[in-house]
Amino acid sequence: MTTLRTFLTELGTTLKLLSRNRVAFLGLIVLVFLILLSYVGPLLWPAETRSNLAEIYQGPSLKHPLGTDFQGQDNLLQIIHGGRVILEIAFITGILTTLIAVTIGALSAFIGGAFDSVMTELINVWLTIPQFPLLAILATMLKVSDVWLLAVILALLDWPGLARQVRAQVLSLKKRDYIEAAITLDLGTPHIIFREILPNMMSYITISLIFATIGAIYQQTGLVFLGLVPLSGANWGVMLSLAYNRGAVYTSDAIMNVLSPVGAIALLQLSLVWLARGLEEVFNPRLRTSV
Amino acid sequence: MTTTVLSPRMTTWLKRVPIEDFKFLVRSILKSLFTIWLVTTLIFFVIRLMPGNPVDIFVQDLLLKGLTYEDAQTQAASMLGVRLDRPLHEQYIEFLGNLLQGDLGKSYISRNVPVAQMIVQRLPWSIFSIGTALLISFTLGILLGMIIAYKRNSWLDHLLTNLAAAMDALPSYLIAILLILLLSTVFKIVPVTMTRGAVSPGIQPGFTLEFFVDVLKHYALLAFVYVLSRTGSWILTMKSSTMSTLGEDYVTAARARGLPEGRIITAYVGRNASLPLVTRLALSIGFVVGGSVIIESIFVYPGIGLLLSQALYSRDYPVMQGVFLVTTIAVVLSNFVADLLYGWLDPRIRIAGEAQ
Amino acid sequence: MLPTLSVHNLTIEYAARRGAVQAVRNVTFDVHRGQVLSLIGESGSGKTTFGLGVMRLLPATARIRHGTLIYRRDEASEPVDVLKLDGRALREFRWKQVAMVFQSALNSFNPVLRISDQFADTARAHGYLQGNHLERRAAQLFELVRLDPERVWRAFPHELSGGMRQRVMIALALLLEPRLLILDEPTTALDVLTQRNIMDVLKALRRQLDFALLFISHDLSLAADIADRVATMYAGKIVEIGDVFTIFQSPRHPYTIGLIRAVPTLTGDRKDLTSIPGSPPDLIDLPTGCKFHPRCPLADARCRRDEPELEDLGNGHQVACWNSA
Repeated sequence: MTTLRTFLTELGTTLKLLSRNRVAFLGLIVLVFLILLSYVGPLLWPAETRSNLAEIYQGPSLKHPLGTDFQGQDNLLQIIHGGRVILEIAFITGILTTLIAVTIGALSAFIGGAFDSVMTELINVWLTIPQFPLLAILATMLKVSDVWLLAVILALLDWPGLARQVRAQVLSLKKRDYIEAAITLDLGTPHIIFREILPNMMSYITISLIFATIGAIYQQTGLVFLGLVPLSGANWGVMLSLAYNRGAVYTSDAIMNVLSPVGAIALLQLSLVWLARGLEEVFNPRLRTSV
Repeated sequence: MTTTVLSPRMTTWLKRVPIEDFKFLVRSILKSLFTIWLVTTLIFFVIRLMPGNPVDIFVQDLLLKGLTYEDAQTQAASMLGVRLDRPLHEQYIEFLGNLLQGDLGKSYISRNVPVAQMIVQRLPWSIFSIGTALLISFTLGILLGMIIAYKRNSWLDHLLTNLAAAMDALPSYLIAILLILLLSTVFKIVPVTMTRGAVSPGIQPGFTLEFFVDVLKHYALLAFVYVLSRTGSWILTMKSSTMSTLGEDYVTAARARGLPEGRIITAYVGRNASLPLVTRLALSIGFVVGGSVIIESIFVYPGIGLLLSQALYSRDYPVMQGVFLVTTIAVVLSNFVADLLYGWLDPRIRIAGEAQ
Repeated sequence: MLPTLSVHNLTIEYAARRGAVQAVRNVTFDVHRGQVLSLIGESGSGKTTFGLGVMRLLPATARIRHGTLIYRRDEASEPVDVLKLDGRALREFRWKQVAMVFQSALNSFNPVLRISDQFADTARAHGYLQGNHLERRAAQLFELVRLDPERVWRAFPHELSGGMRQRVMIALALLLEPRLLILDEPTTALDVLTQRNIMDVLKALRRQLDFALLFISHDLSLAADIADRVATMYAGKIVEIGDVFTIFQSPRHPYTIGLIRAVPTLTGDRKDLTSIPGSPPDLIDLPTGCKFHPRCPLADARCRRDEPELEDLGNGHQVACWNSA
């Protein structure tokens, strides 16, 4: 119960500090807006099922604020419906990646010895493999259509990069006096890791979680764009891919059909980056630009 | 002793390479070779053991086309460069053997065209396009990053930092689509023909001005996309590196000695601040070879990335495998060069033996 | 004899979020050629800020509120208003007239350049000797500081030990024959033996060369070893100044007395050791009156109300205290 209370107070202070950083606060607002749009929006505005050939490729108007696509369907509606899957995959991947990376990174740094050497070598080898080509090849061979499976695959590819950084952080924390004291007092490895080291890394982990999410969005939309992941249904990436494949990028009438998903994805990435950078400044006062 | 054969500069350089460095060199080479071997082995087994492994799928395809099992196997074998009836470990040895001879198998789709040949044809375009852009964005990044580190909290600092962060966040292909959209379709500044391909049809490749101009015209927008999406990261890294270098005692001490600011900027701040970036540059070069799958697809630019993209669509496994291998080897090599480079540039590392 | 450096009412402030950090407050003293003045104070007393102020190397957040800093190379030379120097004149002033060796010069050298390059940079910046001439001159200086030129000249900084780097820095400081040398905690972070080594080098140097030395430290025993005059600094202000014998034999300010009593001696009785209670004041929010009064055994109502200025006790001895012993 006390941990929940401390967590909430921490959250409160963080939000208050965050509000001073305009860019970060903007990021938070935009992110919350996009989440609400994607989860609440579909309930308020149900999707279109029929195509409306009379209204193909219309520009922005009162009836269609973001114009229409090649089937005459409203772009804004598709944007409202298209965010959920992307957000889900992104957050699941982000959380999985962070979980795996933190566990392995922390354990590796803490236990040291053979385990650490093997893990470090494994991570180094893994990081020399170009990630996106590998991902593309795997996606081709496995024909992933399940959201969870895709998230797992992305996480399995993304964790080494983060693990290496976590390991470096834990190694430097390990040298701190209170950790040495805990080790000498023989408080037990799980206790030391979960009660002493990780709580001091919470800020770092949170920021890493956000970056992992950003990476996941990049990867999944890239795969969808290339048509390697047969995800159906509403999805900004699918929307972009369909528009692109119909040459919408080269047709001036169809611009909104392309700009809408591009704008949505860009906004999502930007809001996450602004939030992450803002959190970095909040947690690391030395980065702050004002005295 | 060796002064007659080698120029004075080379001998001084050699004098800077004592025994520890040779050990370091040998260790680096061995590590690289090991990594290459590990990755090729992984590729081999992953492709063959994965569900829906391409070899079996290929054989199935051929069976459906009416070939007998043996014929199907033979064709598959010649395509993928291995014999399928042999036990797995023999296939592996054969695979490695072929590899060492530069035989990456033959393309599935373009019958009997060696994969190695296809890669070699496409490689120069990727290296040229991404390599040039990398150098431009690196140079720009270093200069701008250092400038805004010196002029902290100026309007330029706020502008560039936010811009750089935004550019860094956006996926490169989104930037590509946006730019094509804006510059070619909406504002019609760039003709559509310049957004596809590396050269216009009909222009003969050669050392002619016509050829170079045409190549540059086709490259311009692509370069712009690459530079826009990559410079941000360099600017931010250089800014933070310069800021921490500016806080070092030796910079204040240099000013205390009355050194001109120009000298301090180059030899005291610049050299130390760019050290971590130079190694990152060496590492990036490795990824240059991978091309950018998505961007080259969008621009239909005939590099390795497009080759991979086409191979992915047509399930051309030998080509996929070949490109992937070549890309990974390039990255391993650039890691190796990066290690060496860092050791050479930072005298402190040489004694320690290994770059951190 | 006219002083080499004449400081008058120098006040330096830093801008911080909570308010202005008053690091140096109305500091006044002189340093003469051939003399060693030791500036003693705890960390946070403002002594490093003062040193940086003389070199005009203060960070952007610092402001010199008022005061003058006059430098004279010789009796016959034009006095230089240090605070008015700028650009080229300032760069020429630095190192050629006044050289400062920072707190443990461990990180004072550019890690990617050899010692020879860093000497060459300094020499070139001031139009001094180059090439072989420079190397010979440097070798002379290295011998003065008891270093082997062969070992040091072509080396990178990290190849030298802390004590060696400190001595190289001292040699470099003497390169252009400055009239004033400022050493800020030259032996902190070095082991006792190296410390002894460097103190011996410094004492030999002051006998051979004729510069004025401002020796900044927190360590009174070092001051006793090398100084001609000692000034104690508290909360940005000089609270006592006098020649070394007077200060140690008959100190008048409670802070100085406290500092002396806090240093154990080989022969002293254990009972004589006392430390000064309390901790240094917050330089943003200084107490009223005398800044030392919260920790002073002699403090009374007047001390809490008014801040004492330096008063002349004769023989060059000055104290800032209402109740000096």
